[in-house]
Amino acid sequence: MAAYLSMGEAHRRITDYLGRFSDAVSSQDVASLKHILSLSSNSASLLSLADALNLLQDANRLIKQSDRFSQFAEIVAPLFRCIQNYRLGNLVDAYPAYEKAANAFIQEFRNWDSAWALEALYVIAYEIRVLAERADRELSANGKSPEKLKAAGSFLMKVFGVLAGKGPKRVGALYVTCQLFKVYFKLGTVHLCRSVIRSIETARIFDFEEFPQRDKVTYMYYTGRLEVYNENFTAADQKLSYALAHCNPHSEANIRMILKYLIPVKLSIGILPTDWLLEKYNLVEYRNIVQALKRGDLRLLRSALEAHEDRFLRSGVYLVLEKLELQVYQRLLKKIYIIQKQKDPSKAHQMKLEVIIKALRWLGIDMDLDEVECIVAILIHKNLVKGYFAHKSKVVVLSKQDPFPKLMGKPVNA
Amino acid sequence: MERRQNPQQQRNPRRNPPPPSSSSHSSNHRSRYRPPNRAGGDARAHHRGDSYLDSRDAAAGDQPRSVVRPMPLHASEAATRSSIGGHDQDREDERDCRELASVVGTCPHMCPVGEMAQRERLRDLAVFERLHGNPAKTSPKLAVKKFCRTISTKHGQSSDIRPFSVLGSTLDYLMSLMNSAAEPFETVHDFIFDRTRSIRQDLSMQNIVDKRVIHMYEKMVNFHVISHHKLRLRSSGPDSFNISSLHHLNMEQLAKVLTSLYNLYDLNRDHNSVVHKNEPEYRSLYVLLCLNSESLPEGERLSLWFRRVPSPVIKSKEMSFARRILRYFRMGNYSRFFSTIAAEASYLQYCALEPYIDKVRALAVLCINNGGYKLHPYPMAHLSNLLMMEESEVESFCNACGLETSLDEQGNKVLPTKQPAFNHPKAGYGEYGFSGLENICRTL
Repeated sequence: MAAYLSMGEAHRRITDYLGRFSDAVSSQDVASLKHILSLSSNSASLLSLADALNLLQDANRLIKQSDRFSQFAEIVAPLFRCIQNYRLGNLVDAYPAYEKAANAFIQEFRNWDSAWALEALYVIAYEIRVLAERADRELSANGKSPEKLKAAGSFLMKVFGVLAGKGPKRVGALYVTCQLFKVYFKLGTVHLCRSVIRSIETARIFDFEEFPQRDKVTYMYYTGRLEVYNENFTAADQKLSYALAHCNPHSEANIRMILKYLIPVKLSIGILPTDWLLEKYNLVEYRNIVQALKRGDLRLLRSALEAHEDRFLRSGVYLVLEKLELQVYQRLLKKIYIIQKQKDPSKAHQMKLEVIIKALRWLGIDMDLDEVECIVAILIHKNLVKGYFAHKSKVVVLSKQDPFPKLMGKPVNA
Repeated sequence: MERRQNPQQQRNPRRNPPPPSSSSHSSNHRSRYRPPNRAGGDARAHHRGDSYLDSRDAAAGDQPRSVVRPMPLHASEAATRSSIGGHDQDREDERDCRELASVVGTCPHMCPVGEMAQRERLRDLAVFERLHGNPAKTSPKLAVKKFCRTISTKHGQSSDIRPFSVLGSTLDYLMSLMNSAAEPFETVHDFIFDRTRSIRQDLSMQNIVDKRVIHMYEKMVNFHVISHHKLRLRSSGPDSFNISSLHHLNMEQLAKVLTSLYNLYDLNRDHNSVVHKNEPEYRSLYVLLCLNSESLPEGERLSLWFRRVPSPVIKSKEMSFARRILRYFRMGNYSRFFSTIAAEASYLQYCALEPYIDKVRALAVLCINNGGYKLHPYPMAHLSNLLMMEESEVESFCNACGLETSLDEQGNKVLPTKQPAFNHPKAGYGEYGFSGLENICRTL
C-alpha cells in the first residue's frame, strides 16, 4: 500500500534522480548509470521514482530548472515518460519512450571518447529487447499487431553501427550482436543474422579474441545453432563445443541449452553422450535415442522421436535426429553379423535379406524385400556398410575386413 | 479514415494482423535512405533479406543512419508481406499501396475502362484479349487489368481498382484459361502470371485480408504449382532457356504467394485454433517444394520453418505425407519414396515434388550400379516398377546416367552393375513420366 506521497517528496525524488544521473555521467560512474537505466530491475528506487512522476506529471519543468539537468533533457524526459508508463503497466507506450531516450543516449555516447559507458549501453540494449518483447505480448493480447520487437531489432542494428568503429567501444559489438540474435530468433527472421555475422567475422576492425568471454560463448551458441539448422555438423560441433568449453561451469541452465543442440550434432558424427550427462542436465528426451543407436533398435528410435516430436520440432533438431535412422540400421546389421559369426564364422559375411526382414519384424517393423535391398544399397553407398548385394540371391555379401566402418567423428556422407 | 493519425486505434478483429512471423524487412529497409529512382532492377538483389548494415559499413565506422520511424503497420501490409522472396520492386510497391488510406474499388470490369482504351491505342493487347484476333480491339469480356509496377497515390483512383466480387470472377476467368490448348503453355502462363499479380495488387490496395481471400490465394498457388510442373515439361527444346527462366520466376512468385497465404491462415485463425480446411495441404507444399532445403528463394530452412507450423497441421494427413516423403528423400529410401507418392500424393503435391523424382531415380540407379553384384545384372522390369517408370523410359534414363543396358539369356533387359561411368543426368527436365500419374491426376 503506497504511503501518502507529498508533492514536496515527489519533487525531491525526481531531483535526486536527475542529480544521480548527471553525477554519474560527469564522474563516469558506469555502475550508477547502469542502475539508473535498468527498468527491468524493478528496483525500489525506480518504483518510488515512478510514483513521484505520476504524481507530479510535469517533470519537464524540473529538468529545465538547472543546466546540470537540462543538458540531458533529451534522454531523461522520454525516460521519465517511459518509467511512468512502465509503472502503470502500459508497456506498449513505455517501449517507444525508452527507445527515444536510448536514441538520445547513444548520440551522447558517440561523443564520449572512451568506452567508460559501455556497460550502460549493454543495459540499454538488453532493456530495449526485453521491453519490446513485453510490449508485443501486450499488443497480441489486445488483438493488435506486435511490431515493437521488430523495431527493437532495427534500433539494435543502429547501436551496432555506433560500436562498429576503430576505437575501444568496438568490444561491445558482440554483446549487441547477441541481443540481435535473440531478437531474430524470437521473431523467426533468423536469416537476418547473416549480415551481423558477416560483420563480426569479416570486418577488419573486429578481433574475435578481444571480445569478452561471456559474449563469445553466447555468440558461439547462436551461430552453432544456425549451423545445426543448416546441417553443417562439423562447424556446429566446433562452435557448440567452444561454447560448452568456455561456459561458466556453474551455469547449469546455460550448459543444458548448449547440450540440447550439441547432443544431436555429436550423435550425427557417431559420438554418444553418457547417461550420467543426460541425467545431470535433464536431457532425458535423448535417452531412448542413444539407446536405440547402441542397440540398433529402429522401433525405439521411431517411438522416441514420436514421443518428443513437438519438443524436437520446436527446437529444430527433429530432422537431424530423424537422419540417425541410417546409423541405427548399421548397428542392427552389425548385430546380426555378430550373431551369425558366433554360429558359423565362415558364412557370417553373407547375410540373407530375409534374415534382416525377420529381425525387423521382430522389432515390429514391416519391410518388404525391395525396401530392405534399397536400405542395404543406401548403406553401402554411404559407406556405412562395406560390401555388395546380390539381387537374384537376395543376399548382402559383407566385406571380410571392417564391414561396418565407424563414423570417426565425421557425419554420414550426404 | 486517416490511419496515420491514430496508430493505436483498435482494429477490426477480423483484420487482426499476424504474429511476428511475417517479414521484418520493412523496418530495416525503412531506415535505409532510398534514392528517388527506384525503377528497374534491384541493385541489392544479392543482399536479399539482409538488414542494411553489412561489413563494409561496419568497417567504415559509419555515422548512424537517421531512423525514419516506421509508419504504423496496417494489418494487410503485415499480412501480405512475405518473409520469403527477394527485396524487390514488387514488394516495395505492395507496401506503398498499403501506406495509402485504403480504397474501395468500383471498377465493374476485369479491366478499367481507361486502361482498356489506352492499350487498344497502343496495340498492347495480349493474345487472349484480342477481339476476333484483332490486335487493336478488345472488349470488357476479354481485357484483364495488367500488373503495374509504378503505382502511386496519384494514380490510385477507386474507379481503376476492382472490388472483391469482380476480382473473384476475374480470377475464375483466368483459371479457366489454364487448359486452353490454343496457345503454347508459356503464353498462357505468362498472361495468367501477370494478371493474377494485378489481382493481388488490387486486393492489397483495398486491404482485403479476411477469410474470403484465402480461397483466391489458394487458386493462385494452384496456378503456380501446376505451372511449376507444366513448364518443366516444356523446357527441353529450342525455347528451353526462356522457359527455364520462366520456371525460376514462377518459383519466386510461388514462394511469395505461398507465404502470403500462410499469413492469411494465421491472420484468420479462430481462437480455438481450428485450421482452415485446406491449410494442411497448402502447408505441405512448402515441404515438398524444398525437399533438399535449398530450393526456395530466401526461404527458411525446413528445420526453422517447422517450428512455427501449428500443431493440428503437423498432425494432418497431408503434412504427415510430406514429412515422410522428406524423410525418404533425405535417407535415400527410394523404394518408399516412389511407392508412397504413387499411393498418397495429391496432384498439387505431385507437381510440387516432381523435380526431385528424377534426382531420386538417379540416386537409385547409382546405388544399384555401385552396390549390385557384378554377376547379377539388375532386371529392368523390376527397376521400372521400383522407379515408377515405363520400361522404355528406364532404359533411356540409364543411358542418360552414362550406363548401358543389355539382355540376359532369356532376352530380358537388364542393367549390368559395377559400370564405372556413372554421371547424373544433365538438367533432367521433365522427360520422364511417372507411372502412377493418371491416378494422381484424378484427385484434382
